[in-house]
Amino acid sequence: MSALLQIKDLDVSFMTYGYRSHILKNVSLEVPVGGRVALIGETGSGKSVTSKAVLGTLPDNATVEGGSIRFAGDDLLHLPQSKRDALKGTAFSIIMQDPLSSFNPVFRIGRHLDDVIYFADRRLGEKSDAADRRQRIHTVLRQVQLADPERVCRAYPSQLSGGMRQRVLIALALLHQPKLLIADEPGTALDVTTQDEIMKLINRLVSDNGLTLLMITHNLGVVRKMADDIYVMRKGEIVEHGTLATIFQTPQQAYTKQLIAAIPPLYGPKVVDQKPVEAETVVELSAVTKVFEEKFLFTRGAGHTAVRDVSLKIRRGEIFGLAGESGSGKTTVARMIMGLIRPSSGRIVVDGRDVSQAGRDSAFRRKIQIVYQNPGTSLNPKRTVGQTLTVPLQFSGARRGALNERIEKLLAQVELPAHFTSKYPHELSGGQKQRVAIARALAADPEILVLDEPTSALDVSVQKNVIDLLHRLRDELGLTFLFISHDLSLMRNFCSQIAIMLKGEIVEAGEPRTVFGDPQHPYTRALIAAVPVMSDAEDNLKPKTSREDQQRYLADAVT
Amino acid sequence: MSAVAESEPKALSAGYMAWYRFSRNPAALIGALMVISVILLAIFAPLIAPYPDDVGAKVDFRSRHMAPDWAHWMGTDKVGRDILTRVIFGFRVSLLLVIGVLGVAVPVGAVLGMLAGFFSGAVEKIISGFTNVMLAIPPLVMALAIGNVLEPNLVNAMLAITFLWWTWHARLVYRVSKSIAAEDYIEAARLAGASHWHILTREILPNCVSVISVKTTLDAAFVILFGATLSFLGLGVKPPTPDLGTMVADGRQFLPEMWWGVLGPGFAIFYATLGFNLLGDGLRDMFDVEV
Amino acid sequence: MLSNRILLLARRLVGFAGVMLVLSIIIFALARIVPGDPARIALGPSATQEQVDAMRQEMGLDKPLVQQYMDYVTHGVRGDFGKSLISGRQVSHEIASLLPATLELVIATVFLIVVISIPLGVMTARHRNSWIDNVGRFFSIVGVTMPSFLFAILLQLVAASFMPDWPVIGRINYSLDIPAGPTGLLVVDSILHGRWDVLGSALKHLAFPALALAMAGIGQITRITRSAMIEHQRRDHVLTLKSFGVPERVIIFRYLLKLSSIAPLTIMGLEFASLIGNAFVVEMVFSWGGFASYGLEAILQKDLNAVMAVVLVSGLFFVIANLVIDIALMVIDPRLRFKEAGV
Repeated sequence: MSALLQIKDLDVSFMTYGYRSHILKNVSLEVPVGGRVALIGETGSGKSVTSKAVLGTLPDNATVEGGSIRFAGDDLLHLPQSKRDALKGTAFSIIMQDPLSSFNPVFRIGRHLDDVIYFADRRLGEKSDAADRRQRIHTVLRQVQLADPERVCRAYPSQLSGGMRQRVLIALALLHQPKLLIADEPGTALDVTTQDEIMKLINRLVSDNGLTLLMITHNLGVVRKMADDIYVMRKGEIVEHGTLATIFQTPQQAYTKQLIAAIPPLYGPKVVDQKPVEAETVVELSAVTKVFEEKFLFTRGAGHTAVRDVSLKIRRGEIFGLAGESGSGKTTVARMIMGLIRPSSGRIVVDGRDVSQAGRDSAFRRKIQIVYQNPGTSLNPKRTVGQTLTVPLQFSGARRGALNERIEKLLAQVELPAHFTSKYPHELSGGQKQRVAIARALAADPEILVLDEPTSALDVSVQKNVIDLLHRLRDELGLTFLFISHDLSLMRNFCSQIAIMLKGEIVEAGEPRTVFGDPQHPYTRALIAAVPVMSDAEDNLKPKTSREDQQRYLADAVT
Repeated sequence: MSAVAESEPKALSAGYMAWYRFSRNPAALIGALMVISVILLAIFAPLIAPYPDDVGAKVDFRSRHMAPDWAHWMGTDKVGRDILTRVIFGFRVSLLLVIGVLGVAVPVGAVLGMLAGFFSGAVEKIISGFTNVMLAIPPLVMALAIGNVLEPNLVNAMLAITFLWWTWHARLVYRVSKSIAAEDYIEAARLAGASHWHILTREILPNCVSVISVKTTLDAAFVILFGATLSFLGLGVKPPTPDLGTMVADGRQFLPEMWWGVLGPGFAIFYATLGFNLLGDGLRDMFDVEV
Repeated sequence: MLSNRILLLARRLVGFAGVMLVLSIIIFALARIVPGDPARIALGPSATQEQVDAMRQEMGLDKPLVQQYMDYVTHGVRGDFGKSLISGRQVSHEIASLLPATLELVIATVFLIVVISIPLGVMTARHRNSWIDNVGRFFSIVGVTMPSFLFAILLQLVAASFMPDWPVIGRINYSLDIPAGPTGLLVVDSILHGRWDVLGSALKHLAFPALALAMAGIGQITRITRSAMIEHQRRDHVLTLKSFGVPERVIIFRYLLKLSSIAPLTIMGLEFASLIGNAFVVEMVFSWGGFASYGLEAILQKDLNAVMAVVLVSGLFFVIANLVIDIALMVIDPRLRFKEAGV
């Protein structure tokens, strides 16, 4: 096989604030004709910059210092601009990552598609009239399983669901039957069931049309389904390269091993079962419903039921997982337990007291603390770590003298050195920020910790450390966790109880071993089946689910 | 594994990035110099001005309407006073107006904006509703009306301007603090038991400081401009106090022959407003905020 | 979805009604704390106390304040703002006869702002940090910082020195036979009557005042357009189109321009308040003889009834302009149309 795309010793640097930093160092990779190659790496590893260098869409402050990019024999970096532009969308195409921001919000979807096809036609020297282009657009939209192309074209981006927009982005890439398809983390921003559908779709399109695929991702589970050849990237360098089997079974580099080890297994011998807890109930919800009323002008708009008739019990010392896709109501449940919003009906009892009657009792309020999903926004950028930690201590009545001692102890608990007290959030990495956020929650001496996807914004290698820390803290401090997440593999290993939510209702609950071993509800089965896993053995252990069930629960409707 | 080893961030410090942006902006540096020169001229006016006596109601008909020369760089006015002297003292009035107006309008606007942004419900509705109404009033028209109702003088001009000016700050701070109030760290502070006072002064306010200071700098230019317009229309500072707007209005009667009577004070106004504006623009880039 | 639009507009209308309500309260309260008796002003110092008392009664000044306010509002809604204390004629008639002059000036000004600042903003953004950008930015900062009256005077000076035949005061050469009606806007009327000499004269007279009045807006809108363009240039959707080889000029002039017109339009609505204010100055310098000149005169002569009407009509100007802008924004930005209420 000859190489369709060959990158050799590519060196790219960025100028920021008067400093030149090398973002890509000697990157070399090859994509053979008809091959499926994956480039994996964590945030900031340079994988997206590599794809932009190929496409010719590097930002203005980037310079290619050296190396070559050959596509079907032509050196892209030395082609005249017009020739280079002529390849875009026709010789190679990209599937963009974020389906919402990838469209101009004030233009219809059809306008985007038509402009792309029109200008590509012109570059190819083909004449096309509007009706002909429309015909071709509709064909491609049907190919990506958008049943009503007319309606999709007429819609504005905000009127389509994330999954539909992602499909349109794929259609955009297929308008001119490119030879090479570059997929930059497709579906990452979507729910797991939708993501699974998108992966299947891309796979099928690639094999049906005989395309070559360069897949850029951070998700190893996705890679297993989508690539035969893998390049592992870290800090702008390719650290390892091999076939799928070699990388997954016999990784050579420590970094690759760490990446693979960090992925929690869904099935198999490596799965950890958390011991079920026998203790008194600390949180109890009975028949809780939450309806958000929408006031519009003076009239009452339609109510939106976020949570419907939810009952659950959390025992002291338990790690209770609340799983579900976006919009399933899991965060609303947590916020009601914390007393931040009131249920429309039903009763919530925490530690023997009705939350709605606790009112402003701050001692009671402090019993529940939260760790947020996004470490970037959970710390005040204008306050040092020390100042942030002082707040809960001060308001629980700690004395000045004891403060510093207590802060040092908290930092030690989350494995941060004492000198971090004087640091500002922007000086910290994502993992470190999340540790500070945990320390802040602990400072209030809570009994219950709500963990709202505490690791989903972190890189996999960091995720594992934070999870380990949380485990240790629970054991040492006797905490109860309410863990909100959509990451089922993580929950399988981390939680001692799990409840699955769908559209505001709990559809299934129990110990992870039973829920995953023998899921009862068709949605649970569809959800588990969609989780990307690391081996065929795990795939085989997944529950069987029908095609209809998978389709039924896709949040893929026109809004 | 220690958490410190998790990819130590090599981020540039915020101070460095801010300074980098500011120093790469020659316009901002020039603006800063212009502002400093205006302030110095105003403070040391009696020492700098060539004819300090010409500030008052002096009349010297022998030297009236003299074109600019070495003795009178900006010429003389209709009663023979040195225009440059009066311009330098005019900066005093302009800056007094700025201090008077912004000294009240900025704190009032910031406090109201923060309250509206932090407390949802009735407080928010009332403050933001009232602010929006006030924004709809053509400021100059209203200030003229007020200035007319009261006697035209510096203090009343200040009052009239201040009466409308706080709204811009309220609107801006409201927008900023509302977005900050929705941040996770504010909720975390609340869950930790922090008081409203603590959240407003320690969590939200520090995040508004850069926006407020940029806006205030830009506003200094507009207050000078606004004050000059009022007195140009005859509703500002009373003669013989030297005031730039009044001087332009006086000079206008003798156009086009005695052009210097307008150009000197006119460009003095422009110099001051331009300086504050360039500086404000530079600060906006430096703090990277939207004002 | 149509109902969504209507509800949104209804909400704005309620807001604007609130604006007018509060404005009327403020101006009414202000008028009643004026030192000096309106009746006395109207009659002059030589009038007897009986005459003044009779006048007070006629003007309703003897009724309770709330009653006076209610009367004022009910009359005002029907376009009756009372009589001018100076001329003794109906204020609303006086204003109605002068409004077209100001309307013409303001429309010309808005036209200038749009045709100058949007292309300038796009150009400066496109050639960021080049000499074009620097010149454009300098131009816009001068526009923002130079007082309107100074710019107006400078224009007059320029005309006096270099273009002696160029008119610098008034709306038209009054020696011409000016066609009457139907709009009162000289430019429109002269076209309707096919009087090209009048049109030429009107346009010549209009050019400098409109330019002087537009300067501040041009500076502001250029700046906003530029920064909106630059902001949106960094977005993913530009990258999408670039990745598929859509030419840069199409990306800029079709995709970015529409998206980047939202911010300047919004600002234009707010800036309208200061534009109305500046019209007072510009009309005075150019002896335009419009509504704003009338307002200034009324204020200087303490003609209370006229002042109140002027302030309210100015407010109405602002409200109507903003309503137009809101509708324009709804046409441009589909997110406003389809956004679920409250979400």
